Amino acid sequence: MKYYTYFPGCSSSEGTAVAYGISTLSICSALGIELIELEDWNCCGSTPYGSTDELESVCIAARDLALAEKTGLDLVTPCSACYTTLNTANSRLRQYPDLKSKVDDCLAAAGLEYKGGVRVRHLFEVIYNDIGLEDIESKVVNPLSGLRMAPYYGCQLVRPDPGFDNPSNPQSLDRLIVSLGAELVPFPLKDRCCGGSLIIPALDLALDLIHKLLDSATSGGAQCIITVCPLCQTNLDAYQGLVNRKFKTKYNLPVLFFTQLIGLALGIEPKVLALDKNIVSAEKILAPFTKVTESAS
Amino acid sequence: MNTKAYFMIKKEAITGGDDHPETIRELEAMPEVESVEPVSGEYDLVVVADVDAPTRIALVAKEIQAKDWVKDLHVLKLEPAAPNPFLDEVSSIPGGESVHWCVQCGMCSASCPNVHKMDYSPRKIIALVRAGRRYDALTSNTMWVCASCYLCTVRCPKDVKITELMHTLECLSVRHGLRKGGTTPALYRAFVDSIKGNGRVHELGMMMKFFLKTNPLAALKIISVGLQLLSHGRMSIKPTRIKGAEQIKTIVERAHALGGTK
Repeated sequence: MKYYTYFPGCSSSEGTAVAYGISTLSICSALGIELIELEDWNCCGSTPYGSTDELESVCIAARDLALAEKTGLDLVTPCSACYTTLNTANSRLRQYPDLKSKVDDCLAAAGLEYKGGVRVRHLFEVIYNDIGLEDIESKVVNPLSGLRMAPYYGCQLVRPDPGFDNPSNPQSLDRLIVSLGAELVPFPLKDRCCGGSLIIPALDLALDLIHKLLDSATSGGAQCIITVCPLCQTNLDAYQGLVNRKFKTKYNLPVLFFTQLIGLALGIEPKVLALDKNIVSAEKILAPFTKVTESAS
Repeated sequence: MNTKAYFMIKKEAITGGDDHPETIRELEAMPEVESVEPVSGEYDLVVVADVDAPTRIALVAKEIQAKDWVKDLHVLKLEPAAPNPFLDEVSSIPGGESVHWCVQCGMCSASCPNVHKMDYSPRKIIALVRAGRRYDALTSNTMWVCASCYLCTVRCPKDVKITELMHTLECLSVRHGLRKGGTTPALYRAFVDSIKGNGRVHELGMMMKFFLKTNPLAALKIISVGLQLLSHGRMSIKPTRIKGAEQIKTIVERAHALGGTK
């Protein structure tokens, strides 16, 4: 069993991406991962705080890092925005001593201290690197053979920091999909932006971007899109109806979290993976595979 | 050594409210003018001009005086000038120093998925910062249209942290009360308020606050989405307040007292 401190983030804990949090917890024990939720974590601040006040935003993220440091474990989050925000705070504190001393001062006022020793990791990267595809492949009981998938990385898993995967032509999610028995489709826009939180203040702008993504995935022949980010899933899934209305299209493309995908391949029931929370239902494309698990159990 | 001159300007009464961006732009178009700030009181604008020789101050003053909407001009003070205070301000913020490395190649603008909605492309806004065009840069919508996808950042051949620079410009425009850029600033404010209040973001509460503050009718466009999210159990009705909410308050108050990152 591998142990990690778990940072679900606001949307995956009880918000729009609650299915991400549920499916994460339901696959981890099967993969030999023990996630211990960070006690009393706060929102990382994300882009909105970083675009409002520099110092405050780093301080807010540093509170989480200070709490996580006490656990002595790597801090793992399934959310790409939390991942980038906490990582940016971490690297700024290392890079700018003046900023660090101010943040130390603010944390001290609240009785906290951060030495700078937390490693922030994305859940996908942990599963990919620490568990490994071979190990996952050996646990597959329900190979999703023939199901055609578009791997969607979004932005903040592979950017801005290079290292884990290629920042503009990532491959790791492609490999995971193949190892689960499913089929890949060409998806040239796999690292492009879904509009993120601009979906609220700049709806049309974001719908244009989502339309391009759905178009790229379907013209490749995808039956579903696999995501690693709560915001990407919500934008592509919940706003698909609005895209159809605006562009007079008929997309009906289920958007699954990679955790739901792994869960299905491991033979976990769709309900346990919160697949019923997907707005564009995946029932039809998954029917051949879920029957197999029912008869097996 | 350059000299910095502060002029106080009283405008002629112009109909149609007291916000006249065109007058500010007109002044900022003068090569010597570094910044223009609207003020309230006896005078309407404070203009900071940067001239290479003290004798040129009178010429700049005359040129401003000659504009038909200028009623009165007064020289407040003269002082030795720093070459570009806006550039200094931007580059003093963590991440902002990379603005110096830009070679204006335009890779960022070519990579940006939202460039067509921006007042100035990423390349241009960097040029504005380096030219000291504080008002134009901070009142533009450019940084507020940035979706933080970081494509520009990873493609930049000079390692300019363009996305972080956008965040820096957003922070500065908030700090100086110049934020425009559609309704994105209002969403960010609702988001930050949610964190300051409860320690976590409550999506439903944040969105309701945002639409009430901006345009409640705009919410109609996405009401179908909201209802579907609700019926699928993806919207929590009640906010969660963390135990450390007071701690957050203390941290934020202390950060505020320290006066930013500079």
